[in-house]
Amino acid sequence: MAVCVAVIAKENYPLYIRSVPTQNELKFHYTVHTSLDVVEEKVSAVGKALADQRELYLGLLYPTEDYKVYGYVTNSKVKFVIVVDSSNTSLRDNEIRSMFRKLHNSFTDVMCNPFYNPGDAIQSRAFDSVVSGMMVQAC
Amino acid sequence: MVDQRERSESMEAHDEKPIIYTMENKPIVTCAGDQALFTSLYNALAQQLPREPMEWRRSYGRAPKMIHLEANFVQFKEELLPREGNKALLTFPFLHIYWTDCCDTEVYKASVKDDMLRWQSTLRHHGTQDWLIVVVETDGKKKNKTNLLPRTSIMDKIRNDFCNKQSDRCVALADPLKDSSRSQESWSSFLTKLRTLLLMSFTKNLGRFEDDMRTMREKRTEPGWSFCDYFMVQEELAFVFEMLQQFEDALVQYDELDALFTQYVLNFGAGDGANWLGSFCQPVRSWNGLVLRRPIDMEKRELIQCRDASLLDLRSYLFSRQCTLLIFLQRPWEVTQRALELLHNCVQELRLLEVSVLQGALDCWVFLSCLEVLHRIEGCCDRAQLEANFSHTVGLWTYATEKLKSLGELCGLVSEKGPDSEDLNRTVDLLAGLGTERPETANSLQSPYKKLKEALSSVEAFEKHYLDLSHAAMEMYRAIGRMRSARLVGKSLAEFYMRKGEPQSAALFLQDSLKSYVAEGWTLQITHTRKQVADCQKQLGQTEDYLQTSALLASDANLTDEERKHFCQEILAFASQTSSGQAQKAALSMSAFAQLRELRFRPATAVLHVGSALQLELCLCSLMPVPVHLEQLSASVLFTMEQPGQKIPYGSLQRRPSHGIAGLSPDGVVLFPATSPSGVPSLGLASAPPTLELSEIQDRSPSDNALNSTGVVCKNVHLLLRRQDSSTSMEMPGAGSASAAAVAMEDGMQQLKTLDVTLLPGNNIVHFTAPSQKAGTYTLRQLCATVGRVQFLLPHIYPVVQYEVYSQEPQLTIEPLSENLLAGLPQKVKFSIVTGHYTLKKGEALQLSNTESMPILHTHTCSAQILSSTGELVGENTLSIHSSEKVTSISLPPTLPYHTLLFHLEVLCHIPTSPARPESERLTNGEVRYRTKSHVCHNSGMASVDQKVSVDCPWSIYSTLISLTFYIPFKAKYSLLSAGKRKYIQVFLQNVSETNFRLDNQSLTQRQPTPTLELSSLNAKAQQLVHSKQSVFCLWEVKWKTDPPACLQFSFSASFAPSDVPGAELKPYVYDFQLERVSTLYSVRAEIRPGSGEQHCRTGALCGLEVSITRLTEPSDAERDDEETTETEGLRTTKLMYEVVDNSSNWAVCGKSSGLVSMPVAASATHKVQMELMPLFAGHLPFPSIKVLKYLPHNATPAIQPDTDSCLENDNLSLLDKGLDDQADTASLRSRGSVHSLGSCDQPQQPAPRVLPMPRLEPFAPGQVFNCSRGRQVLVLPAADDHILEVNAT
Amino acid sequence: MADEALFQFLHNEVIQYVYKSAENGEMENGRCVSKLEHLGFRVGQGLIERFTKDTSRFKDELDVMKFICKDYWTSVFKKQIDNLRTNHQGIYVLQDNKFRLLTQLSSGKQYLEHAPKYLAFACGLVRGGLSNLGVRSIVTAEVSVMPACDIRIMIKQVN
Repeated sequence: MAVCVAVIAKENYPLYIRSVPTQNELKFHYTVHTSLDVVEEKVSAVGKALADQRELYLGLLYPTEDYKVYGYVTNSKVKFVIVVDSSNTSLRDNEIRSMFRKLHNSFTDVMCNPFYNPGDAIQSRAFDSVVSGMMVQAC
Repeated sequence: MVDQRERSESMEAHDEKPIIYTMENKPIVTCAGDQALFTSLYNALAQQLPREPMEWRRSYGRAPKMIHLEANFVQFKEELLPREGNKALLTFPFLHIYWTDCCDTEVYKASVKDDMLRWQSTLRHHGTQDWLIVVVETDGKKKNKTNLLPRTSIMDKIRNDFCNKQSDRCVALADPLKDSSRSQESWSSFLTKLRTLLLMSFTKNLGRFEDDMRTMREKRTEPGWSFCDYFMVQEELAFVFEMLQQFEDALVQYDELDALFTQYVLNFGAGDGANWLGSFCQPVRSWNGLVLRRPIDMEKRELIQCRDASLLDLRSYLFSRQCTLLIFLQRPWEVTQRALELLHNCVQELRLLEVSVLQGALDCWVFLSCLEVLHRIEGCCDRAQLEANFSHTVGLWTYATEKLKSLGELCGLVSEKGPDSEDLNRTVDLLAGLGTERPETANSLQSPYKKLKEALSSVEAFEKHYLDLSHAAMEMYRAIGRMRSARLVGKSLAEFYMRKGEPQSAALFLQDSLKSYVAEGWTLQITHTRKQVADCQKQLGQTEDYLQTSALLASDANLTDEERKHFCQEILAFASQTSSGQAQKAALSMSAFAQLRELRFRPATAVLHVGSALQLELCLCSLMPVPVHLEQLSASVLFTMEQPGQKIPYGSLQRRPSHGIAGLSPDGVVLFPATSPSGVPSLGLASAPPTLELSEIQDRSPSDNALNSTGVVCKNVHLLLRRQDSSTSMEMPGAGSASAAAVAMEDGMQQLKTLDVTLLPGNNIVHFTAPSQKAGTYTLRQLCATVGRVQFLLPHIYPVVQYEVYSQEPQLTIEPLSENLLAGLPQKVKFSIVTGHYTLKKGEALQLSNTESMPILHTHTCSAQILSSTGELVGENTLSIHSSEKVTSISLPPTLPYHTLLFHLEVLCHIPTSPARPESERLTNGEVRYRTKSHVCHNSGMASVDQKVSVDCPWSIYSTLISLTFYIPFKAKYSLLSAGKRKYIQVFLQNVSETNFRLDNQSLTQRQPTPTLELSSLNAKAQQLVHSKQSVFCLWEVKWKTDPPACLQFSFSASFAPSDVPGAELKPYVYDFQLERVSTLYSVRAEIRPGSGEQHCRTGALCGLEVSITRLTEPSDAERDDEETTETEGLRTTKLMYEVVDNSSNWAVCGKSSGLVSMPVAASATHKVQMELMPLFAGHLPFPSIKVLKYLPHNATPAIQPDTDSCLENDNLSLLDKGLDDQADTASLRSRGSVHSLGSCDQPQQPAPRVLPMPRLEPFAPGQVFNCSRGRQVLVLPAADDHILEVNAT
Repeated sequence: MADEALFQFLHNEVIQYVYKSAENGEMENGRCVSKLEHLGFRVGQGLIERFTKDTSRFKDELDVMKFICKDYWTSVFKKQIDNLRTNHQGIYVLQDNKFRLLTQLSSGKQYLEHAPKYLAFACGLVRGGLSNLGVRSIVTAEVSVMPACDIRIMIKQVN
């Protein structure tokens, strides 16, 4: 379902980006990077007007003609971004949610791995496979 | 459907105003009966009805609503009543009212009743129960008709005529036109009734309608079901809700329709297509965007009604309706949001349904729609609101921008050379699809339609519009802080400029976004953008920047090898250009070209003396894809003069702390942090603050320093809390075009150079030889690689790399080869000369001035080693040594500066014959007492001798004084032993050194030989071995004929040699000492006899002790004039004191234990003393010891004044009666002559004996008194009764 | 509970080890504390990632602090912080009257001089946790009477 999955560090540099090989990787990088704007907007909105919106899942960041970009921010300010092809409108919000949940769990394991040094790019195979799991389901 | 159309016709047929579907509509209420009456009341009614809200309780558990009811009162016609199956709701009469003011039964009976009946039947025929009869009462009529029944009767009549069991269907309205309280009441009750009934009707009829509608929807799977029809029906409901101003409900209807349709499209995509969808799959012919200006777009509605709406038509219509309602609901931002979704969705759906669309048509549609929505929103919001909600609108703006851009590209309006014919055709086709502008926008200048047409008309117009949009979008993004989005727009703007061949306009945007990507470390974007930047810079002819960028790209791992090589070639090409034209060199930052990985010093200490060679080994990692040949690689070095005073002492150099030489590991390597080539800092590290340093603290209370508290504190808070601006910290050279400025060559510095280096990709090792002419600190500042006209510069080398050059004074040191030099034996000492900056020339010599106590035993073949500063052997020479009795001169071999000259010499230190060696005096309590003046090497109780040698060195006019300490290997003691009159001398010799010695021909001689006295050795063998820490005793008997002089001086001598050296010649050891008054004057004899009648002493029984003191010798001439003798009747006597001391408390002395006796000074004069003793124990008891002391009368002056040590000696002296060897002590004591203080033995606390003259006691010299009964024992039996008792016991 | 005991024993051993190795390889004990603290730091990073996985997003700094005092502390030390004080200028003092890692040492002044060793790791835990929550800070500690201790947090205002 996902065409691109990205993990972005506190400091907004990518820890992990993977996109379906069929499409132009660069485009996804641009999309994901730009989506940070909305992420920041939404996160900073927390505690302000809509104080109740305090869950980690940020929902749809913005749609484009071809993609829908969803966001999620852990309490450790690490951002997850999932890009989905607009064509499969069948995708329900809670499915996206669960994807993010999976992602977060896997990421936590990475963080707790002694061989991972926080702030470095993610090399973990386990994490990789989780992500590919999400991307496969599409086709 | 059919009848519906029919109906609408029939509507036209009537003279009523045609229905326009807007909220101006009101629910229809028909009025029958007295029209005149109704008309009179109409206004009041129309006004009052909406005045009060009414709660509407609704079916299907929907929340009740308060609504203000209005009604459209029309005259009753049968045609108004809907026929069977008519679904129309808007035209549906919800309530029918019959008006009458009849108050006359007759009239009623005559006409009104029938009319009512007719009315009723019609209604009943059409099956509506929603009716009401209103009876209006006016006083006017009442007046003139006096003979009347009470009016109520009319009501009653009507009630039981019509409303059986629903009497509420008939109400009275009293004097409606009057302004009386009564009329008020009746009005309000009437209105309430009216509203209630209306609502009831709504609930009923709408409910019914919804049921029908639902059943209709259930059928949607059946063939022949048409979405359009259903659409019309549900919209009818929506209209009604809208009419009732229930926009929420109305919207719901449309949303349901929307969802339903979407679902169908999706299913179609999934494969199961409904046939009715066919109409929507027809190719798109017109793409004039949304129309939101009018509440209802009739044309589109018609299209839907007659089932030939395209998908865009349907979507547009649906959205226009939703938009209208949302705006009624004051939710404009939802409109924009929905709009964006709609547009995206439509594009998707068209793809999904594979609808054929002219290329670019959709772009037009989207573009127009975006602008239309934006206009609509702007229309209903003020500026402030808009600005507050850019976040909602900006999406549409950018979408429009993108679309316009792609249109521009499609129609060849972006290329440098304008559109070609093909482009023009395309443009025409696209414009055709727009059709003619709609009337409502026709006269507005800024309509989307006009904009698009204009934009597509010419390159200039397009650019204008495109720029407007882009900038608008950018501004909005900036305004709401979506910088990345803004930059992205900017970037596409830049691309646009590049396509148009206007790099200068593009440059800024590109740099801006590049910076941001670098700052946030998005490598792909960096690479991509940087390529664009490179292109731009190339076009702008910004050579230096271009080269810099190229360097970065050439080292960019994200690029293919080909690309990298290309950019590398760009640099090399420029470099190789002969600078014929403008002779400018390009200075670039090295960071992209190559990286300094590590730097290695040889020697590792990075500290060297002037003029010596230091090798620098650079490890340079080339990031270029191909080998690059450098004409030269140079490092500039900053020299700082060494401050006087901080000269580095030679010794410290080897283990020199690498201060200043940051991060210099022991093996002389400086490692440099690796920065990632593409100018992207590895943020993981870069953002990390300096590591915090903690330490433990203990807070102790000042009074008693007990712990108050302990804790962990941070030592470098200031560092950590300093905010480091993240963005700048990440800024890298080459990130922006500014980098060129950063790389400025510092000049006027020394350079380390290596020429013609070829850097292969990856790590390269480059060697330098560092300058070291002057003493001081050399700091590496910059690294510069030169490739033709290009210079790659590392502006500062960090961490700081330094090496130090020192100059050093020559110096001589002489040190023992073994840890201790032994006196008396030849010893080797090591001479080491560190030449420092001084050069030893041929014939230069050391002059050692001798001392006779320490001759230098030189062998003529003495060889010297010459070591280099690094410690390896460079030469070996034999020294020639000449010595006169004054000086020994050692001529040195020529030696280079900063070398070390080493050679050994043998010296001998004679043992001083009779050093007053207090340290060798053992006190009676066995410990060695030290005196401050004595120089004793404390670790081994050896006496030492310091020897000074003064040396004249060739490099200095002053002679250097060097002192050597020698240790005396032996320690000697003597003691005098007596047996009756016979005397023995024992010499005790201890080897205190670590070495073992052969000892030979020990001999004892007198220093002034007296013939009468002879010494006969009692020693077994002369030759013997004395191991370390071992001692030897030698014994001689002293014999004499005539009695010896009072003072005898002896000299003990032995010769010794280290035992481990076989051939070593024996060296002498001499020990002098003197004895006084050796001959025995008195012998003391004690006898113990049992009590009378006993042959054994018994415990507890008294027995006698007889002490007899006998003078053995004639008075010596020394004694003659001794003032301690006294003349009494011609017979010279001397006073003695005896004392019986039993310190083992075996005996109890009865009577006085001490007394004075006066001895005649004559040979064999004897004096006996009787006293009684009682043994306290049984067994062989030792005799109590008997002391004999000189007794000096008061007039006698003390022999020697007491010296300060007296008190020191008291305790020691007080124990004067112990084993033999103690006498040695007393002897040695005497020899030190502190005898007097014995006086203080009896009166220890006597302050100073000299002050008040009084009788004193003085001990005899050892051996002067011989105790015959010393060590004797006597058998003592236990008391008899004890014995028996003992028997009984057994 | 076993797991807790295990943690405490391990913690003690770690301290032993660090200080032993300090004696052998001559590094001044300031380093030891720092070293322990760094161990704690890394652990804290991981822990907080775990613990905040299912919590809702924090409103502000104070919110974070409360989390540290309640959930975080509880899950590590099996009790809450007893008292949280702040000057509202980025300094917080967490007061634990019965700090788990000190309870075995003593109650009172005995071994007080050794207390710091046993706090360093905890300091790290807090700093690591905070830093992973995007709050850069310096964490120190103070003990006057065991087993009570004050953890002092200095927030680095991010620009």
